[in-house]
Amino acid sequence: MKRTLRACLSLFRIRAAESLQYRLAALSGAVVSIVWTLIEVTVYIVFYTYAEGRANFSLTLGQVIAYSWVKELLYALLVFNIDDEIRGKIISGDVGVELCRPLDLYWHWFAKSSAGRVGTLTFRSGAVLLAGILIPGQYGMTLPASLPGFLLFLLSVGCAFLLCSAFGALVSAVRLGITWGDGPTYMLILLGHVLSGGYLPLQLWPDFIQTALLYQPFAGMIDIPARLYVGSAAPAEAVPFLLVQIGWSAVFVAVGRLVMSRRLKNVIVQGG
Amino acid sequence: MPQIELSGIRKAFKVYERPAGRWGLLKGAFKREVRSVTALDGVSFSVGEGELVGLIGPNGAGKSTTVKVMSGILTPDAGSCVINGRVPWKARVAHVSEIGVVFGQRSQLWWDVPVSDSFSLLRDIYGIPRERYESRLGGLCGALEVDSLLKTPARQLSLGQRMRCELVAALLHSPKLLFLDEPTIGLDAVSKLALRAFLKDENARSGVTALLTTHDMDDIEALCSRVMVIGRGKLLYDGGLPGLRERYAAYEGQDTDEVIARMYEEEAL
Repeated sequence: MKRTLRACLSLFRIRAAESLQYRLAALSGAVVSIVWTLIEVTVYIVFYTYAEGRANFSLTLGQVIAYSWVKELLYALLVFNIDDEIRGKIISGDVGVELCRPLDLYWHWFAKSSAGRVGTLTFRSGAVLLAGILIPGQYGMTLPASLPGFLLFLLSVGCAFLLCSAFGALVSAVRLGITWGDGPTYMLILLGHVLSGGYLPLQLWPDFIQTALLYQPFAGMIDIPARLYVGSAAPAEAVPFLLVQIGWSAVFVAVGRLVMSRRLKNVIVQGG
Repeated sequence: MPQIELSGIRKAFKVYERPAGRWGLLKGAFKREVRSVTALDGVSFSVGEGELVGLIGPNGAGKSTTVKVMSGILTPDAGSCVINGRVPWKARVAHVSEIGVVFGQRSQLWWDVPVSDSFSLLRDIYGIPRERYESRLGGLCGALEVDSLLKTPARQLSLGQRMRCELVAALLHSPKLLFLDEPTIGLDAVSKLALRAFLKDENARSGVTALLTTHDMDDIEALCSRVMVIGRGKLLYDGGLPGLRERYAAYEGQDTDEVIARMYEEEAL
């Protein structure tokens, strides 16, 4: 157990170092994020201006704009479109080499893919944050709603990281069935993006599905931390939110491990 | 008791085939034909501790599959396999901590980081105590002459350099058993000779059992006291190289490659 932990930490270090290798790619990702956010913010401003008095939004314009920035900050977390390296290993059959390590493959990949996420997160989010602060007036990022809200936001981001890593590992485990191709993983990923609030804040969805939206697993990836940041959820409400995040992480870990152990029984290592 | 004991190992793979013909592509999207290809058809052998065994056979004969079964990656359909008293695919983690593997066509080094980082990761993965790791690394690096490469990222190594580093990586945890799948593929004469000399030396010094697959008969001649020939998923020959010559050579002193080619022809492989 202690050895596994040490090995995973070591794996985490080496993978994070490796993912920092491609700084330019991270930077270009950040530029995409920034431009996308500006477009989104513009669209929201237009909507809110012309809907003045005619519609009753559950989020104020300021909150929606802050939400958009926070969402882009956390976007790298959502990169659970399976770690490129793991995907490469599955396709080329190098997964055989991974299986020759005295480590549980699940935790091995969990450490690797979460570390890859940290690398992109640091660079990309750093650049987005800087842009959010520098962009003037209405378009820029606003300060968090309250200090307790901000602290809970940070805690919630930690949980979101765990949740996304667990989901990413599940996606990788599903991908181990190589003959399926990428189809199933892309479906899972798209579902995750939509339901995490990656396209539209969940609180702007119709009222009658709000409860369901809040308790589904993907809300914890972006929407819950973002709510705490913009203050559309009060700090006092945070505990059940965090429990939702942690609970779903546990579920994803359990299912991921199950799927992987079943897949490994009939894994086929391709190539000579 | 032998270190490796295989008996009656069978493994078949499913191959999906698209119907041929003009509409094959479209039809294939809905209906696929499944064909079963037998990779191993009852392979049995045993290997004792400290042996250096060569595994040869034409492409697609089942060599790599055999190695994969023995290293616990593949679960065979039938048959039994006990290595160091364990069934590889059942006690995978315990099993692989005692074996080392080198797949000539795959790499276990991290592409973008210095080789030494890959090594220290392996130290943590195998839980090697620090002092033992340092002395082992020093010894291996000296013997394989890779001291100067430790700070180089794997992507900047030549194939020969990389293969030597792979060997260091496979032996760091002092495994009892070493599987080498085409370790000399694509190497130049100097690297090949260095690799062979090292393997022979390591075997003599630490008594590691090594099982290698290869297409290079010189590897076998230089290293292995015992050869196994696999063809069509079956073990066709198991014994010394001289015995193989005796059975298949057309004339005295015929080139080993020719002898092997003749054998493959005769056995209709």
